[in-house]
Amino acid sequence: MKEISELSLPEDVRYSDDHEWARQEGSLVRGGISDYAQDQLGDIIFVELPGTGETFEKGEECGTIESVKTVSELYMPVGGEITAINENLAEHPELVNNEPYDGGWMIEIRPTDFGEMDSLKGKDAYLKILKG
Amino acid sequence: MAEFGGYEMPLWYSSAKTEHVTVLTHAGIFDTSHMAVVTVEGADAFTLLQLCFSRDLTKCIKPISRGSIVPKRCIYGVFLDEKGGVVDDAIVYKGNDEHYMCVVNAGMGEILIQHLSQFSSRMDARVINLTDKVGKMDIQGPMSAKIFEKILKEPEKVYENFPYFSFKGSFYSSPITNNTVILKNGTNILLSRTGYTGEFGFEVFSASSQLVEIWQMVLKAGEEFGIIPCGLAARDSLRTGAMLPLSHQDIGNWPFIRNPWNFALPYNLDYTGFTKEFIGSHAILENKEDDYTYAFVGDDLRKVTVSEESEVMDTENHVIGTVLTCVSDMGIGRIDGRIYSITSPDKPERFNPKGLSCGFIKVNSKLEIGHAVELRDTRRSLKVRVVDSIRPNLTARKRIKQML
Repeated sequence: MKEISELSLPEDVRYSDDHEWARQEGSLVRGGISDYAQDQLGDIIFVELPGTGETFEKGEECGTIESVKTVSELYMPVGGEITAINENLAEHPELVNNEPYDGGWMIEIRPTDFGEMDSLKGKDAYLKILKG
Repeated sequence: MAEFGGYEMPLWYSSAKTEHVTVLTHAGIFDTSHMAVVTVEGADAFTLLQLCFSRDLTKCIKPISRGSIVPKRCIYGVFLDEKGGVVDDAIVYKGNDEHYMCVVNAGMGEILIQHLSQFSSRMDARVINLTDKVGKMDIQGPMSAKIFEKILKEPEKVYENFPYFSFKGSFYSSPITNNTVILKNGTNILLSRTGYTGEFGFEVFSASSQLVEIWQMVLKAGEEFGIIPCGLAARDSLRTGAMLPLSHQDIGNWPFIRNPWNFALPYNLDYTGFTKEFIGSHAILENKEDDYTYAFVGDDLRKVTVSEESEVMDTENHVIGTVLTCVSDMGIGRIDGRIYSITSPDKPERFNPKGLSCGFIKVNSKLEIGHAVELRDTRRSLKVRVVDSIRPNLTARKRIKQML
């Protein structure tokens, strides 16, 4: 597994305590799991995503991320309606490992409250959590 | 890294999926020095083991006398307590009637010694814990023989007449065989045709001080053949696909009966009883109320999380048991209802296994092969079927000649 210094931590996303990331894209928010999360989970072999149109609150469980070894939950980084999910992950779940912030994105949300983005952490604060 | 049996061990070196598949298609090495090794020596060594080990040592070891290095036999079985529950499973290596080596699980050396000492007080039998002096690694996969050939001093002699579940060589000061297996760097090893993956390969025992060098030699020799080091995750998914139990998870402190591992018990030819009495034999033969342990395979690779909240349900939604093990075997897949492995010689062209969940369940009633049950945890409900084999075309028993 990677050392903390080897982890990819882009500046243009915000991070949740559960190791999700959220990126504002106009009026929508795109989300996925961080490089730390994918590295800890190992090879992702299956991703269960919610249906478009479904609504969840911030922090609510909305899917599962399955690795060879474990099954973990996906939590909403911010609350809102699911406007799109990454269909590529059905055939290529490994995108989550290889491109966690790009090709491995999981959900697109129309947030109910953009203010919730502020309660997520910037890169430096997230790094602090990782260092323990 | 994860804690396992008191040792810190890697879950994977590169990727659990790659490691699992690479063992099936090329070769992988596992650092298994965490396992415990105990020798039983003395005039009553045979008597003590015959009393405590589940295999009938008079029946299962046919001597092999051909070949310039004559191999000895080893056998898989279990040590039971008086209630028929499993103390540990083991591979017992027979040197002669007065000298055996038992390989058990991590942390179990002292426990096995204590267990045996309950029965050995009037016997001339010493049980010695070699664990900290022994280094062990497993090399498993179709390229194993080709790779190991490059580091053996006399590979033709070692490979000649070396059947499955036999061993050659010795690594400790009171040798268990009167033959030697020497590596090119002069190290003495004990080499056995055993493993925990169901695939072709060897277990390598050496003095613990030598093991790191052997590990590096094997990695270097195996580079051209695609060898990679493999961690606990791949070890677990490979052994489950091969239907091998994990001690203290799939077998444990419940009677060792009505499970997929009948071959560990000394049944007579018509399965009406055992050929010998041993500690625990009465308990398991007489008890008619115990649970049944079965292997299962799922419809796809999705798993349930094994915990106190995971349950087995029958088709009428009654809870009938618990899940012991649930992993994804990423080397297998289903095509038109049949399970193929990436090692299957008749697999369809461009077969790319999607993986299947598999494992073991413990239920309160007898189920037929093919019977469907539901595994449930807090998140999911999965339909699976009871099976008598999981990953097909296992290569463990193949003749060495075929693998060179």
